[in-house]
Amino acid sequence: MFLQTLVTGLSIGGIYALMAVGYSLIFSVLSFSNFAHGAVIMLGAYIGLALATKLHLGLGLVAAGSVVGAGILSVCNERVAYAALRRRRAPSLYLMISAMGCSVFLENMVYATIGSRFYAFPEFFGRRVVSVGGSTLSLLDLFAFAVSIGAILALHLFITRTKMGIAIRAGVNDMTMCSLMGVNTDRLIAVVFFLAGAFAGVAGVFLGIRYFVYPTMGWVTNKAYIAAVIGGLGSLPGALIGGLVLGVLETLVSTYVSSVLRDVFSFTMLIALLIWLPNGLMGHETEDKV
Amino acid sequence: MNKRMRYVRPMFAFACLFAFLFSGGPAMAADAVRIGHTVSLTGGASMWGQSEANAVDMLVKKFNAAGGILGRPIEIVRYDNRADAVESVNVASRLAGDKVIAVIGPAQSGNSIATAPVLERAQIPMIVTTATNPYVTIDQRTEKVRPYAFRPCFIDPFQGTVAARFAVDRLNAKKAAVLYDVGSDYGQWLSKYFDDAFTARGGQVVAKEAFRSEELDYRAQLGKIKELAPDVLFIPTSQKEAALAAKQARDLGIAAVLLGTDNWGSPDLIDLGGEAVNGSYFVNLADLDDPDIREFVAEYRTEFGSDPVLPNPIMAQDALIMIVEAAKAAGSVEGPKLAEALANLKGIKVTSGTLTVDPADHNPLNKPAVIQKVDVAKKAFVFVEKYQGE
Repeated sequence: MFLQTLVTGLSIGGIYALMAVGYSLIFSVLSFSNFAHGAVIMLGAYIGLALATKLHLGLGLVAAGSVVGAGILSVCNERVAYAALRRRRAPSLYLMISAMGCSVFLENMVYATIGSRFYAFPEFFGRRVVSVGGSTLSLLDLFAFAVSIGAILALHLFITRTKMGIAIRAGVNDMTMCSLMGVNTDRLIAVVFFLAGAFAGVAGVFLGIRYFVYPTMGWVTNKAYIAAVIGGLGSLPGALIGGLVLGVLETLVSTYVSSVLRDVFSFTMLIALLIWLPNGLMGHETEDKV
Repeated sequence: MNKRMRYVRPMFAFACLFAFLFSGGPAMAADAVRIGHTVSLTGGASMWGQSEANAVDMLVKKFNAAGGILGRPIEIVRYDNRADAVESVNVASRLAGDKVIAVIGPAQSGNSIATAPVLERAQIPMIVTTATNPYVTIDQRTEKVRPYAFRPCFIDPFQGTVAARFAVDRLNAKKAAVLYDVGSDYGQWLSKYFDDAFTARGGQVVAKEAFRSEELDYRAQLGKIKELAPDVLFIPTSQKEAALAAKQARDLGIAAVLLGTDNWGSPDLIDLGGEAVNGSYFVNLADLDDPDIREFVAEYRTEFGSDPVLPNPIMAQDALIMIVEAAKAAGSVEGPKLAEALANLKGIKVTSGTLTVDPADHNPLNKPAVIQKVDVAKKAFVFVEKYQGE
């Protein structure tokens, strides 16, 4: 029973982590919480769904299409809604409000055009399950977990080992100085949003397969945002750890304490953790986190 | 003047014009009788809501051709409640302001319970369509019947009993587990009624696990249920949660027979749940193959080119017929007289069969329930058996 709980918790946490990365990435560069991230995940899921059901593509191409599509949408979102605010040095609170507006706008646009129906992805993995020491795990979860961890590692390598990655890290430190040193900050920010969008695309496809595709599916990112906060907003390893911690904690509480009291327990722990470590598990000292 | 301002003003003027045009509410015919309809045209229950709106419009046309209510044409005033409690209360207030004589809907128990006091204050009778919770027509605080709340559908204790009886008698279940939505009146009460009835028949409910509304992952709860190896898993939720729970239960290797309630009865249960929901059973208010409703189904198909999404369209038609019959009996459309006539309806012919209202609790007497089996290969709900009300 304990092993099953742990396995389930990790697989839920893997998806939280995947979504949390998007929040952390953008927060690290622009110091605001991009609440439109959930909507981009939702749109990524719809793109994947269209590729899978209309064009009957395989999982690889569906995921690739969704990654590129959501990435481009995320960049457009930044260009339309945040770029002007950013250039005029608006406080990050305003960027966050603009992001909330985008999220509501995108959700309602989907309601108005595609409708409120729920859709399910075709079953790429069938109902195949893997047994590990008496506990069962679906092939989908195993795959999703591996891809989540793999993608986060790849992103980590990109940020630490490439020239663009170094530019991003420099931007995180000091955007003004960075631009004085000849870095094209608009391009740098576009790359960051593309990466966040790409992660949203992967997350959207996995969420769509695991659950359903519908206009408000992005709300599940509330949990991912909390995971990002637990890990320390702006920190990539933090997002991973935060996601896994939250997933496992929730599952443990609902198994051993009570499923009804699950959120009471997990959120009490969240508040306690933040009192003890205000910047999350891996966060740096910062002043204005909105 | 600032360049931007040049555009702002005309836009503002347009916005005002629009606000003005749409604020007056729907235009009405000379001396039409207005009946309110609070229904989920968007949101999670929109499939039923839209079909319900179609069925009501279809019947209104017929009534109007035959002279309407007391010689006046019927006009439906319809607002979308998005299957949301706050929105339902707003809609109820708007309908009261629109001077409707009665209201059809809402369809969900929680939303109906929220709506009831608003319409009661305005003395407007409300006939909910598929809200099966007992406390829709009974005030939970005073345990007295609400004078302005009625319904054409059976109630949850009956539905819970039918489910438990079927589990014990037909599925030979000894151990049952329940997975329900703690944020929904519907789920909370049904799990209690099922528990009571199943235990009374000698069964044992080994686990009652809950999740919060809008939550998507039940594996933690299901993992616990798996350890207790129940024979049946009762899931009193809507089709969306049921499909998810079924998939996740099968992923975890739970072999129990899945048993559901009338909210499962949507065609997309099969689209969403796939193989995982195959062979599950659920209680429903009506069946497409029920001979009593054959005529209605045929008529709906000709008019809209698709099957009605049961049971809401039928229950909404029943509600409309109840209003028309009550007005006829009362010879008036005033709230108090109409409510009194509604409470004393006897043996009237409705779409689902015949209907008699029990004046003591405003529930219909002897409503039947059907058990359906999910057949994924045929993409259909197969009729299993019919229980007559007690």
